[in-house]
Amino acid sequence: MITRENYAPGPAAGAHVQKVGDRWTLVLVRELRHSPAKVWDALTDPAELREWAPFDADRNLGEVGAAKLSTVGMPVPIVSETTVTRAEAPRLLEYNWGENDMRWELEPLGAGTRLTLWHNIGRKFVAMGAAGWHICFDVLDTVLAGQPIGRIVGGEAVSFDWKRLRTEYEKQFGNE
Amino acid sequence: MKIKIASIYVNDQEKALRFYTEVLGFVKKSDFSNGPFRWLTVASAEEPNGVELQLALNDNPVAKTYQQGLFDKNQPAMLFNVDDVQKEYDRMKPLGADFTMPPTKTTGSTIAVLKDTCGNLVQLVALDRWEKK
Repeated sequence: MITRENYAPGPAAGAHVQKVGDRWTLVLVRELRHSPAKVWDALTDPAELREWAPFDADRNLGEVGAAKLSTVGMPVPIVSETTVTRAEAPRLLEYNWGENDMRWELEPLGAGTRLTLWHNIGRKFVAMGAAGWHICFDVLDTVLAGQPIGRIVGGEAVSFDWKRLRTEYEKQFGNE
Repeated sequence: MKIKIASIYVNDQEKALRFYTEVLGFVKKSDFSNGPFRWLTVASAEEPNGVELQLALNDNPVAKTYQQGLFDKNQPAMLFNVDDVQKEYDRMKPLGADFTMPPTKTTGSTIAVLKDTCGNLVQLVALDRWEKK
């Protein structure tokens, strides 16, 4: 069983970058052993987001409209005025985080879900973003399994091998 | 209550990191990110556990306006204390430092001003009577 004490991220994998000039979009794919409905809840319910996501939401994100995302793990509070533009449970969720757009797609995969995230986080942040999301997705998995190890974001992620992941993703993306 | 963080807006954090470490001689302290937000700080090599300078991205309208305003008025965004301004000038010029004011004697101090490559002017100052700890 994974615990916060024994958790360590694996090798960088499951991410690639779409490059259009200088506008880079990070694409992450993760196969989860839980149903799209369950994964959808984890992506939208503020109580669940608190257990794994890099931000807190001031309302359930499963409805179109305005919301506020509070970025977690930074020494200063950063609140982003967000708009959920598409919320089609349990398949498609789109909103912005700061100036970037995020698109979540949930495809059934047997009894589980293939989760894909598009995040146009920009060239300077792709490797850091991939490393951060990698760890968040690992934590998400523990939440879905009913044994949450607690969110690991921002400064804390550094203690969980975030730098090594970042370096690996930098190498991978540089070669694409 | 302690002062541990000072902050300066920069238009490019990677470029700022290079200038503040390779030219000014500070050391990197914190560097982590969350989504599109990067927390990047440097500290003095002489006081590595002292005050940290946050190199904050200027990606909001207030930041850009403020930064540009100071720059247009030739006002430095930050002051750094040194022992010998001429020595720092001589050290930094070969590194490509772009000084807008060479070492200049004023009442009570010597100062110099340079561009930080990221939208700011920064000032070096050596006080005539600086109390060393």
